[in-house]
Amino acid sequence: MPRYVIERSFPNGLEIPMNSKGAEGTLKVVARNADEGVFWVHSYVTQDKKKTFCVYDGPTPEAIRKVAERNGLPVDRISEVRVLDPYFYL
Amino acid sequence: MAGMELLERDHDLERMAAARDQAIEGEGRLALIGGEAGIGKTSFIMRFLGTSSTKLRVLTGNCDALFTPSPLGPLYDIARTLGGRLLTQLESDAPRAALFSTMLDLLRDPARPTLLVIEDIHWADEATLDLLKYLGRRIAQAHALIILSYRDDEIDGRHPLRMLLGDLATSPAAIRIDLPRLSVEAVRTLIAGRSFDATALHQQTSGNPFFIAEILRDGGEGIPRTVSDSVLARIARLDAKGRHVLEITAVFGSRMDHATLEAISGGDMEGLAVCMRSGLLKMTDKVIAFRHELVRDAILADLDPLRRRDLSRLALAGLKSCGAGRNDLAQLAHFAEGANDQAAVLEFGPAAAQAAAAIGAHRIAAAQYRRTLAFAADRAAAIRAQLLENYAEQCAIIDDLAEAIRARREAIELWRQAGDRLKEGENLSALAWPLVRSGQNAAAEEASRQAIEVLETMQPTRQLAAACRMQAHLRMLDRDRSPAVHWGRKAIELATRFDDKATIAAAEMVVGSAMLVNGDDNGLQHFDRCLTLARAGGMDDLVGLAYLNMGSSYGEQYQFAKAEAVLSEGIAYAQDCDLDHSNNYMSAWLALTKLYQGRWDQAGNHATAVVECVNFTLVSKVMALVALGRLRVRRGDPGAEAVLDEALDLARRTNTLQRLAPVYAARAEAAWFAGDLERVAAEATAAYEIAAAHRHRWHVGEFSFWRWQAGEEVTPPGWCAAPFVLQISGDWQGAAKAWQDLNCPYEQARALADGDQSAQTQALEMFDRLGAVPAAAILRQRMRDSGARRIPRGRRATTLQNPHGLTNREMGILGCLVEGLSNAGIGERLHISPKTVDHHVSSILAKLQVKSRAQATAEAMAQGLVAQNREAAAPK
Repeated sequence: MPRYVIERSFPNGLEIPMNSKGAEGTLKVVARNADEGVFWVHSYVTQDKKKTFCVYDGPTPEAIRKVAERNGLPVDRISEVRVLDPYFYL
Repeated sequence: MAGMELLERDHDLERMAAARDQAIEGEGRLALIGGEAGIGKTSFIMRFLGTSSTKLRVLTGNCDALFTPSPLGPLYDIARTLGGRLLTQLESDAPRAALFSTMLDLLRDPARPTLLVIEDIHWADEATLDLLKYLGRRIAQAHALIILSYRDDEIDGRHPLRMLLGDLATSPAAIRIDLPRLSVEAVRTLIAGRSFDATALHQQTSGNPFFIAEILRDGGEGIPRTVSDSVLARIARLDAKGRHVLEITAVFGSRMDHATLEAISGGDMEGLAVCMRSGLLKMTDKVIAFRHELVRDAILADLDPLRRRDLSRLALAGLKSCGAGRNDLAQLAHFAEGANDQAAVLEFGPAAAQAAAAIGAHRIAAAQYRRTLAFAADRAAAIRAQLLENYAEQCAIIDDLAEAIRARREAIELWRQAGDRLKEGENLSALAWPLVRSGQNAAAEEASRQAIEVLETMQPTRQLAAACRMQAHLRMLDRDRSPAVHWGRKAIELATRFDDKATIAAAEMVVGSAMLVNGDDNGLQHFDRCLTLARAGGMDDLVGLAYLNMGSSYGEQYQFAKAEAVLSEGIAYAQDCDLDHSNNYMSAWLALTKLYQGRWDQAGNHATAVVECVNFTLVSKVMALVALGRLRVRRGDPGAEAVLDEALDLARRTNTLQRLAPVYAARAEAAWFAGDLERVAAEATAAYEIAAAHRHRWHVGEFSFWRWQAGEEVTPPGWCAAPFVLQISGDWQGAAKAWQDLNCPYEQARALADGDQSAQTQALEMFDRLGAVPAAAILRQRMRDSGARRIPRGRRATTLQNPHGLTNREMGILGCLVEGLSNAGIGERLHISPKTVDHHVSSILAKLQVKSRAQATAEAMAQGLVAQNREAAAPK
């Protein structure tokens, strides 16, 4: 399955509280993703929390967009990526 | 496996029980039970049936391991058990659709929850597979659990069952059970006190329950190497009479009834008792069957050819003497071949073929004709020619085009030798179809012309009418309007004289398509006449084709609103009748119409569904890939290149304008976004000449546009599609207006982007709304470069999701409109004044470009605006 990096913007900043409510929110996202065979690996969030880089596995970019819409998450750009391991060359 | 413990199946039995309980409640289920031969599928099903309430109705059908199985064999089994309407219909040759719906009615009867078991469907004929597809797709509302078993190691990638499994397995009503081999622990349990080494036995049998049981039952000297060795060792201990019964039963089939066995064995039933005692055969009140199909396999493989021929003779004579009915024809033909009995093959082969073709088992029909032809070498030319003709017809239906062409050519030659000009002409015309379908357009044209030449030397005939229809069809496919209409009208006129409704309807469709695809709406009347005739005559395929042609013709003319209406209606029809090809092709076109009209999410859904469909046809896939490729290019999503490469690969195989042009146009667009202007020019030139030769105004228009974008000097011909010509000539306003009239927002924005600053600002808003990220980025850069000061930032995500730029508040109010609330009602709910509501409603109507609240509601539903934005629509 291809791996994607999804860039998202949150003009008001992304707030996921570190408590049960936050856990509930992210688990809902994970569950809705599963309907389309999409898997959220993890995300990188900028200091100001206004931009995220989300690493996802999924069947197609259309599936990624479909679950983003269901989860109410914005999508700026989807890129298909592969791992580059700098120490592989050592 | 009777008498042996059923091990390691508890979990799967629980799943079956859950499915059964849901089915009883009216949520029908379908269980697909797969596993290798001997894994215990039948034992598993028997155990499950044994644990189910006796109040449930159990219907059972079996598929036979015949090279040419008896079409709808399992349905006959069921009908014989049930009697009633189903049996009456089968015996009176009722149409297939009627049989299928009777069977479905039985499964929907809430008073009689049903377990329908059909075993060994890897041997099923196509008509049975069609029945299963029909039932499987409609099972969710039935009070029934359908249980299907198959050998998963016997179905390769192109096996017809693969397609069915792909189709059914995705249904939420389906459960899939793959029975695994037994573990060493299970083998140890089965050995119990006997002196076998569990590890060795497990290794030798690979944990196959049948093999294990066979060895344990034999009780004897060491472990045989294969299943077949162990079966044969047991047979070797039978006496001559026992062997005779066993062999004749094996040659006859998986099962036979007492009377037939008695007839074949000449009343000598002594051997039967021996076979029963040995456990190789089992008996129910009606039939004698092998304990396992593997036993039969072993016996057949060990039979020498002469013995087999003699046994086939006995079987043939016996079956004939029992007063064989029409559903025995397949078996009679099978024995006739085995007995090397030419007269019998020539009698039963064609009869079995006709019976198979009549209920849609075309693969079997072709196989029956092929078998018959092998025995007809020394027969008169006319007899062989007729067989070849029938064979070619079946081959064309099952898409074995090369074989259809070969047989048709041989038939033509034979009719010519026999001096039958009428038949020669008829076959020449029929030859054109497999030729054109395999991309040999010039040869098709040649055959079609010759056919008309030959037939015109005689008095007008219905064959001439059909030949004119074929010529019209070829012209239509080539987008040659006038000749297509001319030949089509001639076909209609002639066919009317002979009251040949099928030819009239097909010709009306061709004339209608030829007109519509060239932008002449008068074609609609012809479609209407085609639809009326085809519906009245039960010509489902033609109804599907008519919708398909009408929808794609509108689409090719950029009349997307009309295309969408026709396609939606056509898809509903195709779904009702299981016309998969028409359904897929129309869905692919629906994806394109959604894309052009700016409904990109829906375009993605429809295109993905077609691309992911297992049972696709090439042309459907090409169009769906084009939609998906364009969508990804316009969104800036990854994977565009891969799908457009695949599309080109497939389109080249058809080598027709209809496929090549859309693919090259999409590739030119992709190359433009990649910034590779050389490739833009190359892609836009590749199919330019063919498009120009056909004077296809839209394809030539788009190719000219991309060549111009690539920096070429272009002068598009005057007949070229206006919106492209306007933009090339610098009239961006005219182009934008033209695209707006066609409801193509992306193309409209692309034209506006060539305009002044306010036009560019508008274009930017439209790109943002659509989610056209790359086009918006390029335009922003251009505006910055030209010193524009107020460049709008991208819109908020919630607004991006509807193509009309409705605000959150407007979405909320639209949701209320859909619910049917009045202005006062909306105001109350949202705590705003009715006057403010009125203001918002006017704005919504303007944005949706509709005139009334009812229209707005309809649009919202049709475009899924309300569902898409459910969260935004909720009042805050």
